Amino acid sequence: MLFNSIEFLFFFIVATTAFFLIPHKYRWFLLLAASSYFYMFFKPVYILILAFTIFIDYFAGILIENEQDKKRKKIFLIASIVSNIGVLAIFKYYNFFNENVSLLANSLGVENKLPVLEILLPIGLSFHTFQAMSYTFEVYYGRQKSEKHLGIYALYVMFYPQLVAGPIERPQHILPQLHQKKYFSYENAVTGLNWIAIGLFKKMVVADRLAVYVNSVYGDIESANSISAFLAVCFFSIQIYCDFAGYSDIARGTAKFMGYDLMINFNRPYSAQSISDFWNRWHISLSTWFRDYLYIPLGGSWVPKWKWLRNLTIVFILSGLWHGANWTFIIWGTLHAAYLIFAIVTKDVREKITPSLGIFNKYLNQVFVFSLVTFAWIFFRAENFEQANQVIAKIFSFDFSLNFAKIFAHQGPVNMALTFCSILLWVVIPFPKYKENPSRNVLFLVLITILIITLGKNGATEFIYFQF
Amino acid sequence: MEQQNLSISSSKKFLARIVLPFVILVVTIAAILNYYFEKKIVLGSANAGVYKVNRIITETHLNEVGFFGSSRAEGTFLPDSLVKDGFNYGIFGSQDDVICFFLKEECKKLGKTAPLIINFDLDGLDYSIGDQSNYIYNSGYQPVKSLLGSEYKNIFRIPFVKYSGYFEMYTKAYINDKLNLTRYTNKGASVEKIETSAAYFEELITRQLKAERVFKNEPKLAAELEQIIKSNPQRKFIFVITPYHESFFNGYSNIQDAENYLASLKKNTNVAVLDFSRINFPNEYFYDTRHLNLKGAFAFNRILKDSLSNYMDNEPKQLVPDSTTVN
Repeated sequence: MLFNSIEFLFFFIVATTAFFLIPHKYRWFLLLAASSYFYMFFKPVYILILAFTIFIDYFAGILIENEQDKKRKKIFLIASIVSNIGVLAIFKYYNFFNENVSLLANSLGVENKLPVLEILLPIGLSFHTFQAMSYTFEVYYGRQKSEKHLGIYALYVMFYPQLVAGPIERPQHILPQLHQKKYFSYENAVTGLNWIAIGLFKKMVVADRLAVYVNSVYGDIESANSISAFLAVCFFSIQIYCDFAGYSDIARGTAKFMGYDLMINFNRPYSAQSISDFWNRWHISLSTWFRDYLYIPLGGSWVPKWKWLRNLTIVFILSGLWHGANWTFIIWGTLHAAYLIFAIVTKDVREKITPSLGIFNKYLNQVFVFSLVTFAWIFFRAENFEQANQVIAKIFSFDFSLNFAKIFAHQGPVNMALTFCSILLWVVIPFPKYKENPSRNVLFLVLITILIITLGKNGATEFIYFQF
Repeated sequence: MEQQNLSISSSKKFLARIVLPFVILVVTIAAILNYYFEKKIVLGSANAGVYKVNRIITETHLNEVGFFGSSRAEGTFLPDSLVKDGFNYGIFGSQDDVICFFLKEECKKLGKTAPLIINFDLDGLDYSIGDQSNYIYNSGYQPVKSLLGSEYKNIFRIPFVKYSGYFEMYTKAYINDKLNLTRYTNKGASVEKIETSAAYFEELITRQLKAERVFKNEPKLAAELEQIIKSNPQRKFIFVITPYHESFFNGYSNIQDAENYLASLKKNTNVAVLDFSRINFPNEYFYDTRHLNLKGAFAFNRILKDSLSNYMDNEPKQLVPDSTTVN
C-alpha cells in the first residue's frame, strides 16, 4: 500500500482509531495484522519471506543471548546473518551476479549455465532485512536483551510505518516503545498530522512534479540540450530528497500519531558543509547502520591511514550495492568514497590555501557539496553506465540553444512553471509546531491539503526507495 | 485512570480544535473552488477534451458539422476554414472506441443531417480513451462510464477531489484556448505552433524508418462502426486520411489490409473516403512524422476545403490565409 493513496487514507483512519479503542494487551496483534495487510497489498506471497527472516532472527536472538560460549555465540550470529544476506542474495543480487558471470563467460568463450530467476524484488527487502540484522547484532554485542514475545519481535520488523522504506530502526529505540502502553495525546496527533501533511506535500507536489521533467530528459536524452540536461540532474537531486524524506516524514508522522517515535532520517542534507557532513544528514538510519555494524568493526578511523581509506571505500561500495544490483549504484557509492578520500588526503593542504571568505565560505561549501552530490546522483538515476555518460556528455556539450521545446523537455511551459512553483512552495511554506495556536495548525493542514489536491500529480506513484 | 481521562480529554480537544475546523474549512474551500473551477476552467475551453465530451452529450447544434478522431483530427481540421458551422471533437490520445462513442452521441441528435467527418488513422481500429481527465466531469453518464470501463474510479463521485492530479491538464487547455501561446486554436481544433527544428525532424525520420507499422483491425470496433453507419443512412460519414510523412510508410507491412478495409467501408452508400495520406508535403509542414504543424494544417485545409465542398451546403468563413501569406 502506498502512503500517497486513497487506500492508505482509509487504512490509517481505521487502524489508528482501532488502535486507541482496543486494550493495550491486544494492540501488538492489531498493529501486526495491520502491518501484514499493508505489506500484502503489494504482493501477498512475499509475506513468507518476512516470516522466514522473523523466525530465524527471533530464535537467533534467544540462542545468542543464552549461549555462554563465545564461539557458539558467533556461530549463531553468522547463521542469522547468512540467512538474512541469503534472502537478499537470492532476490536482489542473484540475477545481477548471473548477468556478470554471463558477460565474463562470453568473453572467455564459455557458456554460463546458471538459470535466470524470474522473480520480482520484494518491496523494501533491504530495509527490513537490515532492521532484522541490527537486532541480532545488538543482542550479540550485549547491548540489547533478546525479545521473548514473538509477536512484538515480528512487529519490530514489520511495523507498517517504516516497513518498506525505513527509517531502519535499532531495537533499543523501538522495542521498548512497542511494550509501552500508549495514550492518545493531542501533541502527538497534531505533530503526526503535520509531519504526514508535509511528507505528502514533498512527495506528491514536489517530487512527482520534478519527476515529469527528469523522466522526460532521461527517457530521451538524445533530444535534450545542455540546459535541459543540467536542469534534469539538479531537479533529480531535489526529487530524490523530497521523495525519500517525504516518505520518512509520513512514516514518522503515522507512528507519532500513535505515540511511537521513529528516528530522524534526514536533517537538511543539502545544507551540508562537506561530504562527511552530508552523510551525517542523509539517510541517517542507513549511514549509522553501516557505521555501527561495518565501519567500526573494520576498525573505523582508528587504524593506519590506508586501512581507514580502505574501510571507507568498502562501506561506500556496499552502500551503493545496498541500493540496487546495478553497476551504476556501485559507481555512485565509489564516487562518494572518492570524494571522502580526497577530502581526507587534501585536508591539510586545503586548510592552508583556502582563503577565508567569511560567511561566503558557508554558501560556497554548500554549493560545492551540492554539485558533487548532484553529479553522483546522475549514476544513481541512470539505468546504465551508457545513459549516465550520455547525460554528462549532454551537459558538457555546451549546447545552450534557446530551443524552448528542449528546455521544457517537451513538457511545455506550464509544467516548467509548476516545477519551479513547487520548489518555491516547498522552501517558503512555514512548518508549524503543535504548541502554536491550533488555528495555525488547521490552516497549515488545509493549505497543504488544497495544494496536494490541486498541484499533486495524477496517480499514486511509488516511492523511489521502495525498490531497495 | 488519570492517564485514561487525559487521553479522552486530549482526543476531544483534537477533534474540536483540529479535525472539525479542518473538515469545515476544507469542504467549504473545496466547494467554492469546485464551482468556479468547473464553470470557468473545466468547461471554459473549447479545445479541451472534457468540453468536447460534455458538448456532444449536452448540446445540439442542428447545422453543425462535427469533426471526429484522435490528435491527428484535433491538430488538422480547422472548422472555420472548412465549413460554415463546424466543431472539432478530436481528442488527443483517443482511438476508435472514443470515436464510436462520439458518433453514437452525435447520431442521437434528432433531425440532424449534417455530415460527420472522421479522421481515419492508418494504424487501424484500436482502443484508447486517451486521458481520463476528459471524462471525469461526465463520468456519471452511463455511456461515459462504460467507455471508461475499468478506468472508472469511485473517487470521480467526490466533487473537487475527483480533479486531483488533473488540474494542470484543464488549466493548460484553458491557457491555450485563451492565449494561444503554444497552440493555435479554432472551434475545438488545437494545432502545435512551435516548429520542429530540421535536425530534430531528421531524427524523427530516422526513428520512423526503423519503426514497424501494422494495420490493426479490432473486429468488435469494426462491427460497432459498421452498425453506426448502417443505422444512420440519413447521415453522410466522410472518412479523411490526413497526410503522413513519407517515412511513415516505410515499415508498413500490410497497407493492403488498410486499403481493403477502406474499400469495404465505401460499400456503404452513405460513406465517402478522402485519402490524402500520401500527399507530397515538405518536411516543414510536419510537427512529427504523423502530425502536421500549423503551416501544414493551413495548407492541408485549403486542399480539403475543395474536396469537402461537394458534400457541404454552405461556404465556410475565410479563416485560412491564402498560399502567399502561409509561407
